[in-house]
Amino acid sequence: MDIVKFILKRILQVIPLIILVSIISFFIIRLSPVDPLAELRLNPSISEETLQKEIQRLKLDKPIFIQYLSWAKSFVKGDLGYTTSGEKVSVKLKERIPNTLLLAFFVIFLTWSVGVPLGILASIKKDTAYDRILTILSSIGMAIPSFFFAILLLMFAVKTGWFPVGGLTSYNYNEMSVFEKIIDIIRHLILPVTVLFAISLSGLQRQMRANMLEVLDSDYIKFARAKGLSEFKIVFKHALRNAVNPMITLLGYEFAGLLSGAALTEYVFQYPGLGRLILEAVMKSDINLVMASLMMGTFMLILGNLIADILLVITDPRIRTAKE
Amino acid sequence: MKRLLGILFLLIFVFIFFKACIRADIPENEKKYIIVTPQINNIIYPTEQKNVTLNGKDYIQTQAPIGKFGGELVVSIIGEGPKTFNPCNTKDATSSQMAGILYEGLLTTDPKTGDVIPQLAKSYEINGNDYIIHLRKGITWTDGLPITANDVIYTYKDIVFKGLGNISAMDSMKIDGKLPQLEKIDDYTVKFTTSKPFAPFLRQLSYPIVPMHYFKPYSDKGDSIFNAFLSPNTNPKEIVSGGPFKLKEYVPAQRVVFEKNPNYYKINTKNEKLPYLDKLVYLIVGDTNNEILKFEAKEIDAISLKGNNVARYKEREGNSDYVIYNLGADTGTMFIAINLNNRTDKNGKPYVKYAKQKWFRDKNFRKAIDYATDRENMVQNIAFGVAEPLFTAESLNSIYLNRDIKGHKSDKKIAENYLKKSGFVNKNGVLYDRDGNKVEFDLYTNAGNLEREALGVMVKQDLEELGIKVNFKPVEFNSLVNKLTNTYDWDMVIMGLTGSPLEPHDGKNVWTSSGTLHLFNQGVSENDRFSWEKELDEIFNSASLKLNYEERKPLYDRYQEIIYEESPVIYLYSPLRITAIRKKIKNVFPTQLSGLLYNLDELYVGK
Repeated sequence: MDIVKFILKRILQVIPLIILVSIISFFIIRLSPVDPLAELRLNPSISEETLQKEIQRLKLDKPIFIQYLSWAKSFVKGDLGYTTSGEKVSVKLKERIPNTLLLAFFVIFLTWSVGVPLGILASIKKDTAYDRILTILSSIGMAIPSFFFAILLLMFAVKTGWFPVGGLTSYNYNEMSVFEKIIDIIRHLILPVTVLFAISLSGLQRQMRANMLEVLDSDYIKFARAKGLSEFKIVFKHALRNAVNPMITLLGYEFAGLLSGAALTEYVFQYPGLGRLILEAVMKSDINLVMASLMMGTFMLILGNLIADILLVITDPRIRTAKE
Repeated sequence: MKRLLGILFLLIFVFIFFKACIRADIPENEKKYIIVTPQINNIIYPTEQKNVTLNGKDYIQTQAPIGKFGGELVVSIIGEGPKTFNPCNTKDATSSQMAGILYEGLLTTDPKTGDVIPQLAKSYEINGNDYIIHLRKGITWTDGLPITANDVIYTYKDIVFKGLGNISAMDSMKIDGKLPQLEKIDDYTVKFTTSKPFAPFLRQLSYPIVPMHYFKPYSDKGDSIFNAFLSPNTNPKEIVSGGPFKLKEYVPAQRVVFEKNPNYYKINTKNEKLPYLDKLVYLIVGDTNNEILKFEAKEIDAISLKGNNVARYKEREGNSDYVIYNLGADTGTMFIAINLNNRTDKNGKPYVKYAKQKWFRDKNFRKAIDYATDRENMVQNIAFGVAEPLFTAESLNSIYLNRDIKGHKSDKKIAENYLKKSGFVNKNGVLYDRDGNKVEFDLYTNAGNLEREALGVMVKQDLEELGIKVNFKPVEFNSLVNKLTNTYDWDMVIMGLTGSPLEPHDGKNVWTSSGTLHLFNQGVSENDRFSWEKELDEIFNSASLKLNYEERKPLYDRYQEIIYEESPVIYLYSPLRITAIRKKIKNVFPTQLSGLLYNLDELYVGK
């Protein structure tokens, strides 16, 4: 019952936040000097009538405030509107969401299943060769820009021919058997997943290591050691449970990043995901598409935080008692 | 010790990795440019296609060598992919290209000569203002229904004349604001009647004809339904089309796949139905860098090469599986426009400062800039040698190009003489006009376009040798467009526009004084025009009334002469189109006018 009340309260708090975010983003996009019709204006074969028709269709002749209101009205009704080129925003998003989710799930699954154990290992074996090698590798991982790493891997793919150059499926995908289809998608996914994995792994691994070290250094662990508990029990039963709290908050943020993801990496690998779509939309000031994606990002962030908070309540008795 | 070894090992690894990347990208010898000679001069083109009637069906018979059926061609489109497959609603090049494969027009352009030739029509006759079109009998849409005069009448009357979809089609059909008459004579004959002779009209008949039974339910429901019709997500099986290929699959942001249309009306000399290819694949790639990678990984079969890549590809051509064609200059032109505007805005403030107006409206000053501009240098250093200096308003592949304008070398002496004639004086490397004003102005271009930014720097340097101070200001594309079309507060600008190599009248918005893109003197009033501007108005008006190429050519020659002579716009260069295509693709007959892959139905995959 408590938890339901907690969730309801959070949702109510969120409404003004969403309104504020939408107003700020709408105005920033509209006030930027990008004119969606600039290309048309410089086309010698486009007549004045056509231009006027386009201006009316995109509602550019109305004041920004009215534009915002009409956008907000249809948004509340669940209508995301049309892109500047006349396609339905919801359809465009729907095309891309599964691709982005596929990529994000792979990356998050790999990062967490590798990063957390590596972090634990590094903290237990602190100051050994193993820890140092991990430190070097994760420094490289954090320092290397994602697009640069992506380009290096692309060149690798071109030179060796082992991997396809970008995309998600081969052009003859539809004629393949189910097994071949899976292989084909995996072949396309390996490089972008490697890039994103390498980059987020370093951060996560460092974070986990730091958390663990802090806990391992605390008095109750020393006490447990003095009591003569086995190292395994100390690490997994006592230390880990306490070190995992900040990671849950982090997981909430990861959830938010599921759909906004990795525009640069997607762009370099020509991955048909949301990031690339939105990047292109921002450059063209395609307001409905950009707004839809920003709102989606906002919702995901709020939801992610909510989930993290709930998980924290469940895992951490201290928070639970504080609430009561 | 172990650690040191580890780091050393890592460094070596990184070094080797980088080294491996660098080596292949920079040709070993320091030869800067390799000029690719236009090989299209040596191509033996097939003779003209013929009309052949077999079992009551009017086919087109191509005279190209007989090929092998089957196989696929994989090429690329740059950008986000098509926005629609509705040929009446395309507003961008990719959508037009894709829709153009599905739907064809009555007439088309001969890829080599640029003449108007029949396509969906079997033949056409022109009697005064009447254009009589005879359709092919017995040819069908992909669903087996015949293509008849009803479809033609529907396409023009219900879509074009009503301004559905892309309204610019209606604009270009109008002659003095009046649409032509259209009449059905019988099931396979239609007649267009224009209100007066209008040369560009004939080419308008290349507008794609669409199947009435498939389009009508949507066009009847008005603009917004029609605009959403045939969006890329339409189920390909539903689409009724008529072109050589039909849509098989569209995967957003990845590819568009077409398959052979077995009902197509073209045959080879053995009377076998074309196209040869089973499948035609367009991969959607975000930018040219990715396209290059895809070509090198052999994922695509043809590519258009830009600047610095040409030398690299040419060097490797010998032991590769591709051929490089130089298709000659394309329709893109790069120019400096000068603002000749001498009017004031609503508040009585001049758009261009009075002192500057005097310079810009002075022909000698403009000529001096023309002579000071070193085009050869720009071609060599900015376009990597893959361009040709340009002196005419028509692009170099235009069938109306004035070949008597030979251009000139850049010459600082001549430029200085022109300046002297108008009383400019150079004192210690700074140029002053007759009234003692220092000559200094702004040069704009759109920021982010590296080529134009480099050009700006070069123009600045060239003009500084005359003592002119140029403030080069790359600005955001949109604010530049706003300056050019709205606020008029600019001095000079580096821009590019694409024109039509077939129809100079398309440039009327730029060259006639009332045009919407009359950049260099936008919004000029009737009695304020230069005499040469009036002559241009006269030329564009009268040339559009003449139907004969021979009659029009001298007029358009004169217009190019005027622009060259008066230099309100100083043309710099036209990029060359260099393309590479795998040797296994046969029946490739590239032309300067139509490019590499215009004859999709004739291409086949050989050994």
